[in-house]
Amino acid sequence: MPKLIPVADELSKPFWDAVNAKRLVLQHCAACNKLQYPPQKSCQVCGNAGLTWKEVSGKGHIATYIVIEDGRLNRRMPDQPYNLAMVTLDEDPTINFYSNLPGTPPYKVPVGAAVEVTFEDVAPGQLIHEWRVAS
Amino acid sequence: MAAANEYKWRREKDGLGVWEHRGKVAVAGFGHSPVDRRWDGVSMDKTLGAYAMLACQKAMDEAGITADQVDGIVCCDSHIAGPSGGSASKWAPRPYFAPPYDSELGLTLVNAEWLIKQMGFKNVKFAPTKLPTIGEMVGMASQAVGDGVCSNCLVIYPCGNLEGRYRRGGENAEDHARGARQWTVPWGNHGGNDFINIFPHNQYCLKYGGKHDDLAPYVINQHRNGMLTPWGFNANHGIEPITVEDYVTSRYILNPLRLWDCDRPVNTATAYLFTTAARAKDMKQKPVYVLNHSQHNFKQRTTQPDLDEIELWTDIAAKRMYEGAGLGPKDVDIFNPYDGYATMSQFFLEGFQWHGVKRGDALKFYAGDIRVEGPHPFNSSGGNLGTGRVRCAMYTDAIEQLRGTAGKRQVTVRAETALAAFTTPSSGGWIMFGKHPG
Amino acid sequence: MAKLISFDIDGTLETGDPPGRITMDLVRQARDLGYIIGSCSDRTVGMQKRMWETHGITVAFTVLKHCLDQVRAAHDAEHYVHIGDTNIDKYYAELHGFTYFFPDESIDHLWQAE
Repeated sequence: MPKLIPVADELSKPFWDAVNAKRLVLQHCAACNKLQYPPQKSCQVCGNAGLTWKEVSGKGHIATYIVIEDGRLNRRMPDQPYNLAMVTLDEDPTINFYSNLPGTPPYKVPVGAAVEVTFEDVAPGQLIHEWRVAS
Repeated sequence: MAAANEYKWRREKDGLGVWEHRGKVAVAGFGHSPVDRRWDGVSMDKTLGAYAMLACQKAMDEAGITADQVDGIVCCDSHIAGPSGGSASKWAPRPYFAPPYDSELGLTLVNAEWLIKQMGFKNVKFAPTKLPTIGEMVGMASQAVGDGVCSNCLVIYPCGNLEGRYRRGGENAEDHARGARQWTVPWGNHGGNDFINIFPHNQYCLKYGGKHDDLAPYVINQHRNGMLTPWGFNANHGIEPITVEDYVTSRYILNPLRLWDCDRPVNTATAYLFTTAARAKDMKQKPVYVLNHSQHNFKQRTTQPDLDEIELWTDIAAKRMYEGAGLGPKDVDIFNPYDGYATMSQFFLEGFQWHGVKRGDALKFYAGDIRVEGPHPFNSSGGNLGTGRVRCAMYTDAIEQLRGTAGKRQVTVRAETALAAFTTPSSGGWIMFGKHPG
Repeated sequence: MAKLISFDIDGTLETGDPPGRITMDLVRQARDLGYIIGSCSDRTVGMQKRMWETHGITVAFTVLKHCLDQVRAAHDAEHYVHIGDTNIDKYYAELHGFTYFFPDESIDHLWQAE
């Protein structure tokens, strides 16, 4: 799948560096003990700017999904139709991620199923986090 | 001309109480340009700029005022359906023409400065820049007139479309994902209200029962209302009403989002003339009063807004609007929420509890009688689905219904108050109109 | 056995919005050359039928853009061709075993008698 390649910025660099090391880390606010994704400059709950990075289990569940049949991204056109799932994180189900669910055929998505994080090459030296249905 | 970007006009907090200018501001005129599918790239009388000027003239003529009487211009810096498309909105390099069309301005971009120059407005003292969309512009104009910042304020919303496939260029044609897009586009979400709302819509069906195609009666009725809207795209371009069969056999875009759940991009401009209630009484049309305006701009907590967030946001928007208008759900006669994608209207309908519709009831409500002739004329405007991506049908219909000039769309129920919006659950604004100022 | 050409409408036929390169005369020529012809578009089937009626052209099929499999099932042909102007045309054409052409000079050979 020719996915678009994320370009890290100052805020997201620690996240992508971890992904490239096959680790899923999220921002954590010690003041209110909340995880946060995508990264922001401060805690969206309490405003604390002293956020740290915390590795999470990489376990989640499929909340729902769609199948992209006619999207607008040139690079993804050859992939159509493909799944786009909304995956919630087990540690905090208010946090969600997108996933194309590699290994799951389009339209055959088991909503509610457990998933595990995996890492996928999108360019030399660049991984992205993906999710697979747990075996 | 005073710089107005610092002007504090928003009503986007809870607990603001009844709007201080309730019933003291009115809409006295509106104007629509033709609604074309796209600009052909050569006809200078059909550019977005030409259409914006035409819409302004029509609004002034309808109100019975001249350009010299206009002292406020609220115009979206529009570039192909507004800035929301990012660089993907600007995909059509083309030759330029003789002045005043020797830049993008007037072709696919319109702003207040350009309009003032082209139309010869001499007395404009309020012409803010970097404006959001029509959903908030009508609120800004209402507040400005109420505050005395200006007296006769034209609100212009150009909404353009060019040749080529909609928003297929720019960043959507790139191989890399930068900024906020690094969290969405690698997986296929190019950004937009189609994606924002389809996931919560799926969750909605799971939570409350029902299926996606239960939207069919609503979409079909929007097309029907659109055919009853003489200025709209569908009524002027041989578009035929769709049937349940047409809907349920139509192709998917973002499965389960179907082709007919999506509006049709068009090239058009709309203008409204806001003025004081006192002045409006002496103008040509029966005034339609502004009873409140409110805005919201909620920040999603993670990658994708979910149903809980969408319901919370629309609950807050409803509370804010009702409080400022001094009205409740039972007081609203006309209800024209946004429908750029059919999947979002139910969140507004239930949040505002129009005609008693509670959370989880919308799909059943759609299956009832929602025709304009019936007891529940939901979205009598036809919205974007029925008139094209004009994003203004909701306002024009509200005004016409309260004037009693909606023609074949005129509802048979009481029409003394009207709520209208171009808004998404997360951001935008609402406006409440009244037939009477009190 | 006959050959079959499916025409997209918008962006492909001159009657489309936007107008495409293929004129109604070319469509008639294709019919006269013995092709089984019809349309495959996002327009409703009703609108497609009325378009053909307006131009006095009898076609063998009018289907939605994603339904070329129905054309294949209903019509035996030695070669199935779909002409359309978007990647979605290409996708559905190839999915259902049609040879896909963009409506440019690449289709001219279809009108040349063998």
